[in-house]
Amino acid sequence: MKIFAVLFFISVFAMGVVVMRMEINRSGREISRLQNQVEVKEARNQYLQLEIARLESPANVSALAREKLGLEFTKPHQVVVLED
Amino acid sequence: MFKRTSPFIYDVKNRMKICGILCLIAPVAIGLRLFYMQTFLHDKFTTKAERAIYNYLAEDRLRGKILDVNGNFLAQSVRTHSCGISKRYVKDKNKTISFLSQTLGIPKQRILEKWNRNRNFFFVAKKIKPDVYMEIVPTLRTPLGQGLDLTPEYERIHPYGNTALDLLGAANSKNFGLSGLEQMYNRELSQDISKKRAKRARRGEIIYDRNLKEHLSVGDVYLTIDLQAQFFAEDALKKAVEEYGAEHGIALVQEPSTGRILAAASYPVKDGQSLAFQFTYEPGSTFKTIAISSALDAGTVTVTDAIDMDGRKWEVARGFTIRDNQHDKDFLSIPEIMQLSSNIGAGKIATELGAKNLFYYLKAYGFGTKTDINFNGEAKGYVPPYNKWTKVDLATKGYGYGISLTPIQLINAYSAIANGGTLMQPHLVDRIEYADGRVEKKAKPVKIRRVIKPQTAQIMTKVLQSVVEAGSGKRAQIKGYTVAGKTGTAEKLSKEGGYGKRSHIVSFCGFVPASKPQFTVLVVLDNPSKYTFGGTAAAPAFKQIAENLLTLKGIAPDQVDFIN
Repeated sequence: MKIFAVLFFISVFAMGVVVMRMEINRSGREISRLQNQVEVKEARNQYLQLEIARLESPANVSALAREKLGLEFTKPHQVVVLED
Repeated sequence: MFKRTSPFIYDVKNRMKICGILCLIAPVAIGLRLFYMQTFLHDKFTTKAERAIYNYLAEDRLRGKILDVNGNFLAQSVRTHSCGISKRYVKDKNKTISFLSQTLGIPKQRILEKWNRNRNFFFVAKKIKPDVYMEIVPTLRTPLGQGLDLTPEYERIHPYGNTALDLLGAANSKNFGLSGLEQMYNRELSQDISKKRAKRARRGEIIYDRNLKEHLSVGDVYLTIDLQAQFFAEDALKKAVEEYGAEHGIALVQEPSTGRILAAASYPVKDGQSLAFQFTYEPGSTFKTIAISSALDAGTVTVTDAIDMDGRKWEVARGFTIRDNQHDKDFLSIPEIMQLSSNIGAGKIATELGAKNLFYYLKAYGFGTKTDINFNGEAKGYVPPYNKWTKVDLATKGYGYGISLTPIQLINAYSAIANGGTLMQPHLVDRIEYADGRVEKKAKPVKIRRVIKPQTAQIMTKVLQSVVEAGSGKRAQIKGYTVAGKTGTAEKLSKEGGYGKRSHIVSFCGFVPASKPQFTVLVVLDNPSKYTFGGTAAAPAFKQIAENLLTLKGIAPDQVDFIN
């Protein structure tokens, strides 16, 4: 009876270990999948940031301001500098 | 076979033995097989198991960003993928090609042309954007995607197009710097990620393991370049080069008090080749500032001295005469020599100073030596040793012939006059910020040496101011601000020998506001197709750059009598 009980507990423990290992692997796979998604999203985000930078570039803004709004660069003497 | 009466078979013990032996045959056979496999087939099975369980992550190289002083991205690596096909693994050629054509936006015909070449593997598209990558990935485990291969690679993106590209240089798809600052700071910018063994699941997905994460030490390089200033310099330079049909153009902006380079533009732009540091030329009249400030500092002339013009025809030595055709005066003061850009005046002052003294000052100003700005291929120019100078050499050096220099050396020398006489170490890189939080400061203001006394610098500033107010540099005037500067028009050495009238370099170098200099600006136009002068072609470009910088930085006008 004692041997049976010991064998039973060993079996339950072994099952537990197997289930835990499987769960670790499953979570690992999930993390990897999510990491891959994060990498792709980050790359996409980088492209968008760079697109923003391109649109905000002085060359682009000044060309648009000149063409669409007829604006010109301010001359320095037209700027009033406020002292603290 | 056995007789019923046989005691052997009816003996229970014997029966038990036979059963036991029969039962043992299988385990023994398995045991022997295992022993054989473990002993003789060990290597084969270990490899097989390794392949089934582990995956080797490809070696990778990360690369940091290059940013301007305000943190605007000038160059950044973005992870992309290349899509390739291994023909022999493709299940359905037509379906796969249709899918790729639709997803990648490439005509079927083009893919088929590549397919029909003899190679088994070929790339269909490179630098695939993340959205497209996400569309292809799910098909890789389906029959449609068999034979497709997505290889990671990097794209080095410059969001501001060609802005500062001559400084930045190029990096390849493996994130390796090839030219310019990309190459110069390759060690700081890039980090190799070693090949690592990762556990993989049944379908090939990588199982996350925190030990796989590599310690990041890649750095981001912040330049002293200001994106806005760079744009102003490039814009004005492009206009000037195109208007006068010049072969090349260079525009540099420096902060005289610290030596920081705010803009360094070359036109036409070639990545990694900045003419500001690599181009050498005979400066012509912009160099008079150097010779005259040296003589003033040495005390061989004073600002009130009147220099005899020898009837505007000065025979320096037999067979060599310097002529001044731009004025009809018999005597000129130093401000007048600079305003009228008199070669006789500058030549006589250099002669009075003497070869040894002039050589000493040229070296003190940093000519003939690299500035150590840390740019690949920086030239050092050429100042011949003074003991080899003839009388003519000495006189011509006074107005910028017989020596060669780089734009960075000249602007640094003008900045020394602007800041009161101290030669500063020019800087192009402000700091490097590493992924682990370390910050390496590179652009601390470093005084190299005092070149001229503060009083001399002050006098020279007044003289240069008079050039813009009443001399050849009038087109550099900025309403409300005092400007100090000097024009230069130098004939270039022709291939046949001697100086050719058709080939010349025009330039303007100056600083603003003259009362408290904030920017030193140099504009050089190499070989304009129309015959022009520094005051006509380069001074307006200087004015445009300086005006925009003054507005941008909100610097108040310094002219007392200025009425808004």
